[in-house]
Amino acid sequence: MRISKGLRLAVVAGLLASAAACGGSGDSGGGSGSGGKVELTLLSHYSDGPSKDGLDKMIAQWNKDNPKIQVKAQVVKFDDLLTTMTVRQTGGRGADIVSAYGLWGGQLMKANVVAKVPDDIATKIKAEYSPAALGAVTTGDTLLGYPTELNTYVLFYNKKILAAAGITKPPTTWAELADDAKKTVKRDAKGNIQVEGLSLIQDGDNKSVHPFLSLLDSAGGKFLGADGTPQFDNDQGKAALKFEGDLAAAKASNTSISPTKQFRSGGVAMALQAGWWIGSLKTQMKDKYASDVGVTAIPGPTPGSKGSLAYGFFMGVNQRSKHADEAWKFLTWMNEHKASGGDVTETGKWLADQGLIPPRTADQAEYKKSLSDPNLAPIYDAATYAMAEPNQPGAYEAKTGLHNAIMTVLADGKNPDDALAQAAKAVKPQ
Amino acid sequence: MTTAVSGVGALAAPARRVGKLHREGLAAYLFLSPALLFFCVFLILPFIFAIVLAFSDWGGFDLSTLKWAGFSNFGDVLSFDGTFVKPILVNTLLFAFGSVFLATFGSVLVAYCIDRLSFQGFWRVLYFLPVVATVVAIGNVWKMMYQPAGLINAVLNKLGVNSVGFLSDSSYALPSVTVVHAWASIGGAVLILTAGLKAIPEMYYEAAEVDGANSWHMFWSITLPLLRPALLFVLITQFIGGLQSFALIIVMTGDGGPVNATNVAAFEMYQRAFKFGAWGTASAMAMVLFVIILAITLLQLWIARRRGEETS
Repeated sequence: MRISKGLRLAVVAGLLASAAACGGSGDSGGGSGSGGKVELTLLSHYSDGPSKDGLDKMIAQWNKDNPKIQVKAQVVKFDDLLTTMTVRQTGGRGADIVSAYGLWGGQLMKANVVAKVPDDIATKIKAEYSPAALGAVTTGDTLLGYPTELNTYVLFYNKKILAAAGITKPPTTWAELADDAKKTVKRDAKGNIQVEGLSLIQDGDNKSVHPFLSLLDSAGGKFLGADGTPQFDNDQGKAALKFEGDLAAAKASNTSISPTKQFRSGGVAMALQAGWWIGSLKTQMKDKYASDVGVTAIPGPTPGSKGSLAYGFFMGVNQRSKHADEAWKFLTWMNEHKASGGDVTETGKWLADQGLIPPRTADQAEYKKSLSDPNLAPIYDAATYAMAEPNQPGAYEAKTGLHNAIMTVLADGKNPDDALAQAAKAVKPQ
Repeated sequence: MTTAVSGVGALAAPARRVGKLHREGLAAYLFLSPALLFFCVFLILPFIFAIVLAFSDWGGFDLSTLKWAGFSNFGDVLSFDGTFVKPILVNTLLFAFGSVFLATFGSVLVAYCIDRLSFQGFWRVLYFLPVVATVVAIGNVWKMMYQPAGLINAVLNKLGVNSVGFLSDSSYALPSVTVVHAWASIGGAVLILTAGLKAIPEMYYEAAEVDGANSWHMFWSITLPLLRPALLFVLITQFIGGLQSFALIIVMTGDGGPVNATNVAAFEMYQRAFKFGAWGTASAMAMVLFVIILAITLLQLWIARRRGEETS
């Protein structure tokens, strides 16, 4: 059979287009280059500022000293990190080393994304890192990787607003905290808030949960059990949420006020926030930071009690990486080598320079000796008593359900007991 | 012999035609193959995969961890104890119906007015601008206007009304977002409806005028009935868009809050899949939404066909 020229052209065009549509490399993570050179990829959210500069500096140093194991940083914004990991891992293009939020640890482990930490490295990590840092990156008994960022929650207050309201010292009990919030709140004739007494939210995902869990911890309560069952629907949880609900009902707290935008301009008297906020406030408030900003432990319901939440990030190795040994070698170097001319690790310095708590116990102790900012002391102290954020599979969903329950109380005035019962019912241990 | 040859020739001619048609058909399919392959890879296969996932338990990332779950995902999704049916599905329908109603009403009004104005191109461009602008820009501008210290509350305060928490009060949040979605959708609908208005022959209006009909009668008895095909197209596309939309909600309320007040099905699917790694329930939700969209679209088409109209 003779095939016309047009038909042949169509066949060729169709095949070419089909090949183009199906084309693409099937590489997963880094690859082996010429001469046995290994290229590792590291996916993180350290995408700008000192976080990116510090990590890039360490990677450049490693690449210079280890020409056969080259590391290449890949960065995305934090909001896109989990989605990027999901899409790339499913498509066989996951990075060799992943930096992830501890809360995601359970689901990453369940989905075979993070590899088991080698025993010798796990033993060292468990011996050398603070309990809060370890708790935030351990699911069940499984350590997910090297703890990196560690944050604890504390009470930030505006010294001038408190002084103007006749308050001479920061609150040390829930009763004092509530009184101070009611004394400092200011509204205009139209009901617009001029100064919020106490902010109970933070920016970002599930914004009401971290402050609530800090209060829950101060009352001796827990979020989830080791098996993922809800532990917050009890007297401690009800007391903590009632405390928040009463403040919202008294209009001393309002969820429409963003503390990260309005604290710096005197629009918020007190806020339950994570330690990383110090770096932002210093940059935004400049000279006013030292005179206006105070930090203290989050008080509990009784004198002497206090609480906090610790959450963290970790760097682990992708289970699908073809170069897991090299990846662990790099991570070990990155987390253990000392900064030049100092007693702390380079990673500890990198994190402390960003206003974060170094997760390694020795680094923490070293930094605590010479804290240039007194506001950092309560943040470091909190690392010794804070409740680690649970991260088993299903924890993220449970946290979102709890956030919705808290918001029904803060925004809609729902009964705290009913809200907690509903949130507890929605928790599905996996 | 001549008869035999001509008989063979008579038989061979249709055979040649069939062969030619066959070759042409083959060539047509080959030329179509890139588009068909694209359609298959990016539409059919994902759809089949979504159906498989709806009956599975899968945390994402690794296909080897996919487990058969039967109808349990649908049980979870459609349970009245959960949040999907109420408030999420209810929100989705309110959001879609509300924005379709506002956008259609607004676009008919605007298109009718533009049809009677000079510089029609200018007005059409003006109303089409929100369609060109990104959802992020639109959402952020309206978010600022809705703030307690924003433009709308400032106007309300001037009028002696206390500030309203448009996006922080769960009673107002969904209507506030719906209004913005409707506003942003008007431009596209106006374009289609003005084209529909142009297609209405002028002689009907002239005859009505001679019979003494006023503007309202002409609009109600001539414009609206003859605009129905364009209106049907606008209704269906706006409704499907409304049911699937969630970008504006992410920009304006971030997490579908307060307290799920602005959470819609598409956003919940995104959260379940990409945040919680619950791809099975996310896909089951997608299937439920698919069935709802299909049912409502078929209903709209059926109503329209009973009145003897088609969208094309």
